[in-house]
Amino acid sequence: MSNKRRYTKKYCKYCEAKITMIDYKDLSLLKHTLSERYKIMPRRLTGNCKKHQEMVEKAIKRARQAAFIPYIVDRKKVIDNPFKALEE
Amino acid sequence: MRHYELLIILKPTLTEEEVKAKVDFVKEVLEKNQAQIASLQDLGMRKLGYEIDKHQRGHYFVFYYKAPPSSIAEIERIMRITEEILRFLTVKYENKKEIKQWEILSTKGKIEPQKPEKIEQKEEKETQTEGEKAQG
Ligand SMILES: [Zn+2]
Repeated sequence: MSNKRRYTKKYCKYCEAKITMIDYKDLSLLKHTLSERYKIMPRRLTGNCKKHQEMVEKAIKRARQAAFIPYIVDRKKVIDNPFKALEE
Repeated sequence: MRHYELLIILKPTLTEEEVKAKVDFVKEVLEKNQAQIASLQDLGMRKLGYEIDKHQRGHYFVFYYKAPPSSIAEIERIMRITEEILRFLTVKYENKKEIKQWEILSTKGKIEPQKPEKIEQKEEKETQTEGEKAQG
């Protein structure tokens, strides 16, 4: 998978970008911590520090509630990737 | 007075006038409950992460306001019984750091609404998946 390289680098991307607050509406910030199936990835895989992991977890949960991102991606309902527009 | 944010998702089926009327209605509700609205942001029509009441899309609006904590229950009660509102979310900004963020977010809305072209593309995909569902 193309994600593999991301796992080997162990540093906090949010610290590097000097992020002080994570807004749940800013999906580009949540992207680093979400898996392809929109699960919250653990710190051991992303390299996030504890402080930022807690911040991003809260933001992801709010973004789910606001229907910005799905809670789950199942096989029956194929949901368009809302990040697609950002990646292009 | 505390710092809050209210996000609402309106049904995609509403006309422009109906959307405006609903936004004004929410504004009135907030003001009636001693809220001082700092800013109102239109995030535009967006694709929902999951279906809500059979709707695939929704029109997002965000209000940043200051209000006494006792007002929140009443504001949320009215949001809940308003049919045109698919979903709402209240966020409280409490400590100094959060209030600073509230000030930044309420003065300059960083989030831009999606481009209309992209929504059109997505609509096509939506109808495709619906067709697939009907088959299966
Ligand atoms: Zn960090």
